[in-house]
Amino acid sequence: MSTIIAVDTGGTFTDLVAYDTATGQMTFTKSLTTYGDLVDGVCNAIAKAKTDLHHASSMKFGTTLVINTFVQRNGARTALVTTKGFKDVLDVRRGNRPFPFDLHYYRDPVLVEREHRLELTERVAGDGSIVTDIDEDELSEIAGALKKIGAEAVAVSFINAYKNPGHEERVASALRHQLPGTYITSGTELAREWYEYERTSTAVANAYVGPRLQDYVGRLKRKLHAEGLAKPFFLMASNGGVFSTELAERQPVMLRESGPVGGCIGACEYAKALSIPRLIAFDMGGTTAKCAVVEEGAFESRSPYYVGGYHYGFPILGAVVDIVEVGAGGGSIARVDERGRLSVGPMSAGSEPGPAAYGRGGVEPTITDANLVLGRVGAESFLGGEMKLDGARSSKAIRERVAEPLGFNGTGAEDEAANGILALGIATMASAIRQVTIERGLDPRELSLFAYGGGGPLHAGDLARELNIPEVIIPLEPGNFSAVGMLVSDARVDEAATFLRSLDQANLPEMASLFASLEASVKRKLSDGNDASRINMQRMAEIRYRGQKQGLKFAIGDSGTADEIRQRFEAVYARRYGHCDPSAPLEFVSLAVVALAPMQRPDLAGLTTGTRKSGGAVVTPGTRSVFFAHLGRRTQAAVFQRRDLAPGFSHSGPAVIEEYGSTTVVGPGDTFRIGTLSEIRVTIGNEGRTS
Amino acid sequence: MSTIEQRTGRTSAGGDDGTSINPIVAEVVRHGLLSIADQIDVNITRTAFSPLIYEYKDYAVGIVDAEGRLICQSSGGIPLFVANAFGVAIRDCIAVHGSDNIHAGDVFISNHAATLGQHLNNVVMHAPVFVGEGKGEMFGFMCVLAHWIDVGGGVVGSFLSPKATDIFQEGIQFRNVKLWAGGKPQPDIYRTIEVNTRFPHMALGDLDAQLAGCLLGRDKIIELVGKYGRSVVDQAVEIMWRHSEESARAAIRSIPDGTYEASSFLDNDGIDLDRRIPIKIVVKVSGGEMTVDYSGIDDQLKGPLNSGREGGAVACAMVAFKYMAAPHEPANDGSFRPLKVVIPDGKFLSARGGAPLGQYSAPLATVIDTILKAMVAALPERLAGGHHGTMGIHAFSGRHPETGELFHNLETSHGGWGASATRDGPGPFKTLSHGDTRDVPAEVQEALYPLRIEYVRVRTDSGGGGRFRGGVGLEKVTTALAPCDLQISVERTLCPPWGVEGGRDGAAPLTAVRRAGREDEVILKGSITLEAGDQVLSYSGGGGGFGSPLKRVPEAVAMDVRRGFVSRQAAHDDYGVVLDEAGVVLGDPTRECRARLCNRNSMA
Repeated sequence: MSTIIAVDTGGTFTDLVAYDTATGQMTFTKSLTTYGDLVDGVCNAIAKAKTDLHHASSMKFGTTLVINTFVQRNGARTALVTTKGFKDVLDVRRGNRPFPFDLHYYRDPVLVEREHRLELTERVAGDGSIVTDIDEDELSEIAGALKKIGAEAVAVSFINAYKNPGHEERVASALRHQLPGTYITSGTELAREWYEYERTSTAVANAYVGPRLQDYVGRLKRKLHAEGLAKPFFLMASNGGVFSTELAERQPVMLRESGPVGGCIGACEYAKALSIPRLIAFDMGGTTAKCAVVEEGAFESRSPYYVGGYHYGFPILGAVVDIVEVGAGGGSIARVDERGRLSVGPMSAGSEPGPAAYGRGGVEPTITDANLVLGRVGAESFLGGEMKLDGARSSKAIRERVAEPLGFNGTGAEDEAANGILALGIATMASAIRQVTIERGLDPRELSLFAYGGGGPLHAGDLARELNIPEVIIPLEPGNFSAVGMLVSDARVDEAATFLRSLDQANLPEMASLFASLEASVKRKLSDGNDASRINMQRMAEIRYRGQKQGLKFAIGDSGTADEIRQRFEAVYARRYGHCDPSAPLEFVSLAVVALAPMQRPDLAGLTTGTRKSGGAVVTPGTRSVFFAHLGRRTQAAVFQRRDLAPGFSHSGPAVIEEYGSTTVVGPGDTFRIGTLSEIRVTIGNEGRTS
Repeated sequence: MSTIEQRTGRTSAGGDDGTSINPIVAEVVRHGLLSIADQIDVNITRTAFSPLIYEYKDYAVGIVDAEGRLICQSSGGIPLFVANAFGVAIRDCIAVHGSDNIHAGDVFISNHAATLGQHLNNVVMHAPVFVGEGKGEMFGFMCVLAHWIDVGGGVVGSFLSPKATDIFQEGIQFRNVKLWAGGKPQPDIYRTIEVNTRFPHMALGDLDAQLAGCLLGRDKIIELVGKYGRSVVDQAVEIMWRHSEESARAAIRSIPDGTYEASSFLDNDGIDLDRRIPIKIVVKVSGGEMTVDYSGIDDQLKGPLNSGREGGAVACAMVAFKYMAAPHEPANDGSFRPLKVVIPDGKFLSARGGAPLGQYSAPLATVIDTILKAMVAALPERLAGGHHGTMGIHAFSGRHPETGELFHNLETSHGGWGASATRDGPGPFKTLSHGDTRDVPAEVQEALYPLRIEYVRVRTDSGGGGRFRGGVGLEKVTTALAPCDLQISVERTLCPPWGVEGGRDGAAPLTAVRRAGREDEVILKGSITLEAGDQVLSYSGGGGGFGSPLKRVPEAVAMDVRRGFVSRQAAHDDYGVVLDEAGVVLGDPTRECRARLCNRNSMA
């Protein structure tokens, strides 16, 4: 007997999922996240699950530690060592103002103030040659100054180091020698790509969170070993795979997004298992909705990522799953402004005070309140009945704060207002999905909508109707799906390097040798705790028409000739942009390697979460009155408990399928059936869809 | 429409102006239209060839109705394009062709100077949108404006000649020419474009991106109108305009009625070097309307700093109004209904046809700044000190010594912005007429061009002193590693960024060339050939301060000294703050010093 365990520390709850490899049984527990010390919350979850760690064959952890450290600005006392003349790169940034008409636009504060940025005489040229050697005396002085500052962490980032990291390596190693116990990181350890501001920002951010993550991993290690864990454990990284603890400690900044990534990995696994070529992974939680495109069982990565958002935040280079996030979640607040315009989100009531229906002091109406008023969510069945919702509070909030200000009166006014709140929420979420599809030249009509998170299954049908998506898929345990995704994740390391060369045959040997160097590097990083012989490498290239800025990143497989690479580029380009130019010269921008080491993990087909009536049993649903937007009125809908529905079961809408942590709404005219992996598959009817 | 004047602020189900649709449907449709513009915006930045589009954001995407009234515009793009160049182009299109000769499948281009009033690089492309049964009803136009990399004329890039004296030296003009007719590309026009640009590959690549945006946007509008119905969409647009107009009037009503004035000036027009260019602005606020009166500004100039009425005077008034009133509201036809512009023909912001417009945008940041300066006394808590205000162009071009390829590296300045009533000035950023425009990283410049950036650092004491200090400017030194040409265009060296409410002025910008064994040569406008080893020193301006520097918290001054934003000398002389060896404020000497400075100021 052995178990695989994933623990996801989230904003409110620490979720644990344990998978028994013998029975296929998954068990879930939720315990409160402990902000004083996140390790306590993890231990509480393990204790609550009554899991014996002696039998754990693999453990994976997702944590918000890194992102919280940035948000709360409570990381290490950090210093920057940089090339003479460039210490202001953190203030100068790129000179842009994403809000063009704001006279008082300020970015979030920098992580390292100017007096803690030290300049060193050294210089590498744009072609990688050395212009000025490191001034060793100055370096000793800098080491002294760093001691005096009391720096707990130091980032080393030099201009043009992406071309030649030698100086950075020498200085980082000298400082490690002279400042034992200080966390030292260099820009090119994290990213070998050009753009000095972005790379320096990445190095500084890594140093800033390094000591805290080291401390967390160290304590977690001791606790888990004391509890009997004999195997190494792993941490969920933003690139869509897990890191060994050693790698996580060196590159903590790559752990900035963990929860949302888990869901995307799970969506990829379902896509592969169900042979769905393209789907949209759609996750709606309490505050935001997120979506990502999954093609051929894989998601795309994006770099840079902005901590604190593009408008105010700072960039971090390195692959992160390409997720678009919008401010529409269950807690999103609906307001009517002084001009009589209704808006929904991005302000959220969160979990405290939460929607009006929670009865915890929230008075503003939210998306959850609208769902309750419309009968889409059951007051008694929310979180399996653990939390009773107060429909009267929802009605009052919607009536007084939306219906009346909009001039809706009489019978049906509350329904109309509540439906309006959902319509605007849907509009916001639909634009996020349009954005991720249009950017890739995809037509939503050719995609499936794969929905999870507490709110995903509730709104997926209406979203699909809005976007003309024919099918909605709801996996098992949509409310805990991020943790399920972590269970099935592999170890993964991404590495990219800038490679400015024209695409012609003469440059391919150099390409091959850079790939070889990247592969050796990722292999080193992956080999901690993994079987190096099973590592699977994927070569990617970012290529563009000469003169263009935006390159296209795509897998080049084992293409051996410039013509083959060109053909692959043109195929991807033409699909995305609708045209391509066979005569225009192409050039490389960067090369990247994605390395995956497969880990022991559950088989989706064997997953079960509880007792289920056998396939032949008669299921008798309840009924309740539910308002459907595309019908424009209420009707009686069948109410099913998901645990009662076995694979092969089918029924037509209107229907509501309830389970712990989520509710699936099936509209009139739609039909659903339970698929082979126990997933709910909803076929959207034609009514209300535009052609 | 007297109802617009009513300040009910309440929309019942069904509007006061004859609209009958549910306000939620109106909001959903508004959202749908805005998201079309934003989706096309994303697609353009991803497919454009020229860095001026994908990095500089020198483009705009919008939807206008059949009369050219702005329905919505994408949120990307630079602020100057908030002025509805689309509407101007479309009204001219109807005048040129007649409504009956505009058909489904047509696509037009226009960069006509006399109507658009911008430099010839800015080309509006638009596609009529027909909806309804058999696509028989005109709904409006899908429009994309983009800066074309080169349209011919006297210099590479077309717009940077400091010496142009008429528009014909600045490139080719297209006045609402059909690029496509009835769904078919017109090869004659494509060929004409191809042979009139120095970069045909890039120009046609950008044109393709622009065209794809127009066509995709057009189809998305047709889909949206098909879904909700023409009448619902029309009503939603009316409601949207009405709301924006009400917001704008409410914003104006929050300003006390009165007449407000301010002046500033530009160094020169590049031709008459000793002649300053006065900018006198009068703003009248009365009864929920605002009038920007430019009668006191200079006449049309010989050099290429002119703009037409729409591209100059109207655009500046709109941008300044947005900064004052509604920074985060999407702009549409309603947003500017209560804003009036008065300007006689033949001023440098209302130049007559034929005037050179190459650097039309260079003075606009200062014009916008001056309008804000006029209003700062009325809105001290909303506005700020002056900003560095110049594009600060320093463009390097030549042949790369290794590849022999022609290169052109356009750099512009970031400088300090003005301090406000509650905070030190922000920056360094580009100007008020820029937005999400990113610079080109030093590493990219060094990899692609024979240049080395020696440093980019904070310019100490450049931020105007004040209770809140102006944002700091930068000092940058670039070394040419091979012979190349340098074009420079720097303004505001004589009229530095102003302090307000007793704040000091920020430092003015400066550009100079340093050659071995010679004195630094100051160059503000013009071209020069650089040899390998020559250096270009580019100092950007700092923002104006807000409030008296003697009222700045002494510890904030000490912090500025520690961080190198302010020198010890300036801490003493400007702020009256005395520090000890370690940089700690000395209380009594500071009080004495401040009393002394205060006395001196009141004597003066």
